[in-house]
Amino acid sequence: MELYDIIFYLVALMVVVSAAIVVGSKNIVRAAYSLLFTFLGVAGIYILLGADFIGVTQLMVYVGGILILLLFGIMLTNKVYSVDIRRENAYIIPSIVIVGIFAAFLIFVMTETNWVTADPTFPNTTVFELGKTLLVHYSIIFEILAIVLLIALIGAATLARNDNKER
Amino acid sequence: MKKYLKNTWDALWTIFIGMKVTWKHLFIPSVTIQYPDEHRPIPDRARNRLYVNIDDCIGCMQCQRACPVDCIDIKTVKALPTDELGLTSKGTKKALWVTQFNIDFAKCMYCQLCVFPCPTECITMTKVFEFSEYEREKLLYNFSNLTLSEVKEKEENYAKFMEKKAAEKAAAAAAKAKAAAEAKAKQEAEKKDNDNKPSSEEKDS
Amino acid sequence: MYDLLTNLLGNQIVAYVIAASLPLIFVLTFVLFAVLAERKVSAHMQDRLGPMRVGWHGIIQTLADMLKLLQKEDIVPEGADKTLFNLAPLLTFLGTYAAFAAIPFAGIYVGSSTAIGIYYVTAVSGLVVAGLLLAGWASDNKYSLYGAMRTAAQIVSYEIPTAIAILTMVMVSGTLSLMKISDMQTAHFWNWWILGGPETGIVKFLLIPFMIITFLIYYISSLAEVNRTPFDLPEAESELVSGYHTEYSGMKFAFFFLAEYANMFAVSAIAVTLFLGGFHSPIGYLGHSLGIDWLVPVEQFFWFTFKGTALVFVQMWLRWTLPRVRVDQLMVICWKYLIPYAVVNLIIVGIITLL
Ligand code: SF4
Ligand code: SF4
Repeated sequence: MELYDIIFYLVALMVVVSAAIVVGSKNIVRAAYSLLFTFLGVAGIYILLGADFIGVTQLMVYVGGILILLLFGIMLTNKVYSVDIRRENAYIIPSIVIVGIFAAFLIFVMTETNWVTADPTFPNTTVFELGKTLLVHYSIIFEILAIVLLIALIGAATLARNDNKER
Repeated sequence: MKKYLKNTWDALWTIFIGMKVTWKHLFIPSVTIQYPDEHRPIPDRARNRLYVNIDDCIGCMQCQRACPVDCIDIKTVKALPTDELGLTSKGTKKALWVTQFNIDFAKCMYCQLCVFPCPTECITMTKVFEFSEYEREKLLYNFSNLTLSEVKEKEENYAKFMEKKAAEKAAAAAAKAKAAAEAKAKQEAEKKDNDNKPSSEEKDS
Repeated sequence: MYDLLTNLLGNQIVAYVIAASLPLIFVLTFVLFAVLAERKVSAHMQDRLGPMRVGWHGIIQTLADMLKLLQKEDIVPEGADKTLFNLAPLLTFLGTYAAFAAIPFAGIYVGSSTAIGIYYVTAVSGLVVAGLLLAGWASDNKYSLYGAMRTAAQIVSYEIPTAIAILTMVMVSGTLSLMKISDMQTAHFWNWWILGGPETGIVKFLLIPFMIITFLIYYISSLAEVNRTPFDLPEAESELVSGYHTEYSGMKFAFFFLAEYANMFAVSAIAVTLFLGGFHSPIGYLGHSLGIDWLVPVEQFFWFTFKGTALVFVQMWLRWTLPRVRVDQLMVICWKYLIPYAVVNLIIVGIITLL
């Protein structure tokens, strides 16, 4: 599948380059927008792997939700985008060592694992199976997660509330 | 709760009413006048560009004097007694060649003050108001119907006439002076004679 | 669509490129006429005539405007972040145009008949927000930034009622695929979801009022999502010059314009697909009764654009009817009215479909 490979490498390149910009950029808004492309690329990879629902969820949650809130936060915060966020010379040696170890570990895992090769035919629709898994097999976890989210929401709302009596 | 539902209903209902109004207006013929293609009627006494019916102009310069911004510039040459200038439509006899009748519409403020004093009613307001130009010089209108050569001819004629007249006058004056001088001389001579007589008489006596 | 083109052309890449650019042709022509229509509708609603000079009744006015915009100087403000400033219009248009990939224009004319079409369309509209925020920030202008902030707040808020309304539809139809939803409403207009869909008996009649409510909720919140009056606070001329695209000129401004009008059609197209029978004819096909096969897709395309344009017309109609709401009213409409109604509606529809 020639075209498939081309698209995959393009998307992967996009992810890597934009992720590098996220880390290296001095300007926090630029970093945030590079993150947008990273998210897009990751969504693309998901879709190329046949996980269309996950890919679109990636778009929905990360691009439509988290990134927008991130940007919103940056832009509403006074002066934060003119601050130089890069620390150039902090802990260079320890970080190189740690990254090196981590990379070696990852490469070791990648090469040594007996990867289970998936069935190359993509399922036509993943939504049905996904729904069944989430809402039948793991329904309790699903509901608990929902409650955790609700608690977080209520907590945030309570914290953000401007209660004049207590002040 | 009741208020909440009523609010909702009111919002939807008022939007609906508003939309009904705009829908009706969608089909009302528009009031736009497509200007360069169509014109609104100009009021009868509107003040726009001036027009001078030069055939009627007697060159009295009343209009030039009336104009508050001095935008009318008239030059005239007197006609020779032999010239036949014709009559104005009101029957006044014309006695001047209007060699130049310039109105500078870049200066004119369309006050119509020049129109009233004209004895022959030859300077009038028209209905033309779209005469913008790219160059200011083009707003200088010359209403005189004499060509440059004609103007020159008239001027020369007049100059010649004046010369002739002057010459005649001079001749007449000269003649008169001569006559006077002669008369004077005669008188003086007579006087002399008279004077001499007594003196001679005195001498004599 | 893609398979057909691959068979026709024998080359995958060419097929992809053509499949991806067909909606662009549609969008461009649509925008050309929508901009003119907007001006004409606004003019006639105010008893004026609108553009009359270029062509018969100003029919190619937009083309002239496009030519003018093309010739304009491309101005980048001094304090602007140049890269991001140039990126913003593209990102905005990208977000809008990506939605067209999943919209079924006709039985054979759909970019990708993916099984999660409606979910995808909802997700990519998030890119528009990112683009608009970027435009506002990169312009280095307070009005732009205010406009962008308002856009983001507004779109993020109104995504919730939109999503709940869409969820209601997904629930009754049982699929995320826009193609399948369209095909459910085939044959006649009483099969449209707004009239109870292909259900039968008492359920159909019980569904009708709630489907109408769903449609209204979707339509109102989609208006807010595309920044149309009465929710055009992000570009409120009287307060913010023109919001996030204040600093843009020439072709980049045209891109925002294009994105705005394309977005108008995109949300209308989704409304048509979900509620008004999609590309299916309300009265049956001439092609079927005459036995001419190629006529059917043409008819489908005609019905789809017709319905979509009708909804776009209603958007314009509303724009020239209603004044702009205040910011607090905007949030009240969303959080205190649309969302509770949408949730209650979702629950009721759920109960009805269980019957
Ligand atoms: S209209 Fe007024 S300004 Fe114009 S030429 Fe006559 S007197 Fe002068
Ligand atoms: S007042 Fe009338 S007649 Fe006299 S110079 Fe002016 S236009 Fe001619």
